[in-house]
Amino acid sequence: MKNIFIPLITIIGILLSLTTVSAGLIWLERRLLALWQDRYGPNRVGPFGLFQVIADMIKIFAKEDWVPPFADRAVFILAPAIIMIAVLMSFAVIPFAPAIEVVNLDIGLLFFLAMSSLSIYSLALSGWASNSKYSLLGALRGAAQMLSYEVFMGLSLMGVVIVSGSFNMRAIVEAQRDTWFFIPQFPGFIIFFISGLAETHRLPFDLPEAENELVAGYHTEYSGIKFGMFFVGEYLGITLISALITTLFFGGWLGPVLPPVVWFLLKTLLFICVFILLRASLPRIRFDRLMSFGWKVILPLSLLNVAITGAIVLLWS
Amino acid sequence: MNELFYISSAVAAASTIMVITRANSVHALLYLIVSLLSVAVIFYILGAPFIAALEVIIYAGAIMVLFVFVIMMLNPGPQSEKQERLLLTPRMWAGPAVLSLILISELIYALTSAGPQAATLRVVSPKDIGVSLFGPYAIGVELASILLLAGLIGVYHIAQKGRQD
Amino acid sequence: MSSPNIIQELENRFGKGSFTTQTTKDNIPTLWTASGRIHEILRYLKTGTDRPYRMLYDLSAIDERIRNNRQGQPESDFTIVYHLLSFERNEDIRIKVPLKGEHPSIPTITDIWKSADWYEREAWDLFGIDIEGHPNLKRILLPPTWKGHPLRKEYPARRTEQGKFSLTEEEHLKEEEAQKFRPEDWGITQRGNGTDFMFLNMGPHHTGTHGIMRVMLELDGEEIVNAILDIGFHHRGAEKMGERQTWHTYIPYTDRVDYLAGSLNNFPYVLAVETLAGIDVPEKAKVIRVMLAELYRIASHLVWFGTFAQDLGQLTPVVLTFNDRERIYTITEAICGFRMHPAWFRIGGVAADLPEGWERLVKDFIDYLPPRLKEYEKVVLQNAIFKERTVWIGVLTIDEAIEWGVTGPNLRACGIEWDFRKKRPYSGYEQFDFDIPTAKDGDCYSRALVRFQEMRQSLRIIKQCMDNMPTGPYKADHPLTTPPRKERTMQDIETLIAHFLNVSWGPVIPAGEAAFGIEAAKGNNTYYLISDGNTGSYRTRIRTPSFPHLQAVPKLCQGLQIADLIAILGSIDFVMGDVDR
Repeated sequence: MKNIFIPLITIIGILLSLTTVSAGLIWLERRLLALWQDRYGPNRVGPFGLFQVIADMIKIFAKEDWVPPFADRAVFILAPAIIMIAVLMSFAVIPFAPAIEVVNLDIGLLFFLAMSSLSIYSLALSGWASNSKYSLLGALRGAAQMLSYEVFMGLSLMGVVIVSGSFNMRAIVEAQRDTWFFIPQFPGFIIFFISGLAETHRLPFDLPEAENELVAGYHTEYSGIKFGMFFVGEYLGITLISALITTLFFGGWLGPVLPPVVWFLLKTLLFICVFILLRASLPRIRFDRLMSFGWKVILPLSLLNVAITGAIVLLWS
Repeated sequence: MNELFYISSAVAAASTIMVITRANSVHALLYLIVSLLSVAVIFYILGAPFIAALEVIIYAGAIMVLFVFVIMMLNPGPQSEKQERLLLTPRMWAGPAVLSLILISELIYALTSAGPQAATLRVVSPKDIGVSLFGPYAIGVELASILLLAGLIGVYHIAQKGRQD
Repeated sequence: MSSPNIIQELENRFGKGSFTTQTTKDNIPTLWTASGRIHEILRYLKTGTDRPYRMLYDLSAIDERIRNNRQGQPESDFTIVYHLLSFERNEDIRIKVPLKGEHPSIPTITDIWKSADWYEREAWDLFGIDIEGHPNLKRILLPPTWKGHPLRKEYPARRTEQGKFSLTEEEHLKEEEAQKFRPEDWGITQRGNGTDFMFLNMGPHHTGTHGIMRVMLELDGEEIVNAILDIGFHHRGAEKMGERQTWHTYIPYTDRVDYLAGSLNNFPYVLAVETLAGIDVPEKAKVIRVMLAELYRIASHLVWFGTFAQDLGQLTPVVLTFNDRERIYTITEAICGFRMHPAWFRIGGVAADLPEGWERLVKDFIDYLPPRLKEYEKVVLQNAIFKERTVWIGVLTIDEAIEWGVTGPNLRACGIEWDFRKKRPYSGYEQFDFDIPTAKDGDCYSRALVRFQEMRQSLRIIKQCMDNMPTGPYKADHPLTTPPRKERTMQDIETLIAHFLNVSWGPVIPAGEAAFGIEAAKGNNTYYLISDGNTGSYRTRIRTPSFPHLQAVPKLCQGLQIADLIAILGSIDFVMGDVDR
């Protein structure tokens, strides 16, 4: 009985803390944006406006759960759930600390790629099911963008796999005892970071929503809790990519003095802030430029990275 | 493990039937994705985690997305749904159903007559796959890549032609 | 600006009998001619004469049926007025065509100037003048279901004169149905080039359209095949109100035309009234006006800059520039008591003297803004993605710009140094030392650069105003100024009566016509006023820059993508209040 309980507690603990943290990120983002924009940001509800998130959540839960009459009901409801499930599943393979992890999967990295490829459906299906032209355009953009950048994301990680010799996340972290991988795998890190931005469709790559062009893109027709799922899903995605950057390139939980899990969280938080800073400062790139940038610059670079890393590792051993 | 295998197999079979019987193409695709995912689970149970992951990444995550993409572009209206419904008349599916039944009974016969075999479950690691792909099956891999290249060039050519019009 | 030679030239070419000349207060050569040869004459003016009049600056109509003071003008019920502009001569010419009958007609000139399209539709919409041969004669400012033509004199100006208003469910549905986009109405087809096109209805409520405007897009994927603009959602009948209000009480309405530029809108109106009344404005009033105008120009440009960056996806600049604008409003609040729409200019001067300590406020702002501008330049204008989104997007050549009636920063971005403040200095602009920024490519980036540099030049002008503020009265010593002088009212009955009348009815401006154009924030803004010797204007024509600018958008965005359309809309800097009036 005991060995069922411990994983269950880990799962529930991680699940709860993740959703809380990503909701808290909404507060963090608003405060940071406000800081950079000479504003106050949310500061009324609770200390430093921290309870703003709770107030927002209450609002979102209490809103009418409305499905437009012209939408495809079943798919419309399914779509926001997919992104939450896919992203939360991905967290299963991330080692937060030596002892905190849901599963220690040998194909951990592949599992993450599989889950992130499934999250595309959330965009594509929500756009299709909404039966609105803005949503459709957003979904088309989103599907093309995420599909392409997933390829580069996978390729950029192959360098890490070659150097560490494993798909296992824990093994990858352990392999970084001497040097963090962002030094030998610097191009891989940059490519992964860019692809991560594109995968989570954050500025400057937020083309699927692009509020100035497509109103709100694929989730134009969503409201209430279903919109909330997309919203939290986006922040979960940011947390996931930041956690992965930490794990794969910045030594995961490794670090002196402080407990491992604190190191992990600190590093992750740093990258989350970088994501938010990018949103505060950069304009949006045009869709066709994004695609041609991906296929003409990022793809050759990541292939080159894999080839060179492979050659060096082969010569070394 | 056996129970998991039977559950996922049942899900795969059921969702595949749903794929065939749906009139709405996006709904059909969704069931197809479920079917692929359950096949991935079966692979994992059978000791091929790498193949399971690839099944999800490539089939469910990439190829099916392209299908959805195309359907979104074509945007079939309620009319095509009606057309699809017409295809589902007993006259249309009776023939294939009978043939499939024959195949299934053959399969059941083959499985039961051979008797229970000791399952030799061995985990196939990514390395094993790599070695065999570039070892004994090198020619197959090369042939497949040539086929894909041909497809790539063909698509490029067709797309260019459309642009000039 | 009188130029008898063009009148001579036209009389020599088309025969002396073809024209009747009219003298106006603004000294723009004004010729009456019959509708028969109008085509020929306009074409000659555009292409035939040397130093031609290449821009159709304005096209509007006048309902002459109840006008009393028309000495020497040909008989007419409705008059079409073509206002042309020559850059080479730096001169205007006004051609008027008298039309008889209740619903007269006139041939279209859309084949000569593309920009005539919307102007002629406006004339049809508001006056009921039929334009023969117009490719698409539909209502433009009013909804398609509207009955009547509001600028006709018999059309009531007040809602209360029209009986009870009701909107039944049935009528509501009919209105909704009328708003529906039918591609065949606009001569476009769903299929072509081997593909089905998608129609996307952008607006009237959309985040990228800067106000309530509708763009109907015909899309091939994300590529724009055709774009059709539907305007008029913001139409408030500003011209009709001009006929109802007194000369003085109309001033606050002008503020709301280009609602981002406050007092800059008062400027052409009071200048036109002063031209009609023959009022000379004292030096101090002129400098105060210039200072406020430049402050509002910066305010308008700041909003444009922030929202343009926002259109391209940059979140931060818009918040920062709105913050900066608040500082301008602090100054205008101290001077005028109002922030956005102060209605501060008066016929003959401004409403009150500058308050004590105004220099400190202005100086603080002049010191504050330049470092901010430098920062914006670095973060926005030099950003690689920003450049990629704007360079060579929405290119307008000089010829196209002139053809479409584009003025102001958008024209200067094409490479012409054309600015009324330099070319036809008004209100003492000739005494200031400032440059006219230009660019040469005419794309979105050039337009951004020109406007951005203009803010720096405006700061220079404001600094000179501050350093050299003259002393003396802030309002002219003239009986027609508003509000009228009070000093001598208590001495004798005559001046008391005059004061009483001027306060209660407003001044009677002598009969005549005058147009005055200024360099507003968005381009050239002209008020063309006709006085019939009354306390209010007989016809107020507002030529706004945004109207022709917006008309050029469909041409600019063809073959580009939705994202580019947003960049173009942002870059041309229009305000729907300025378009729809």
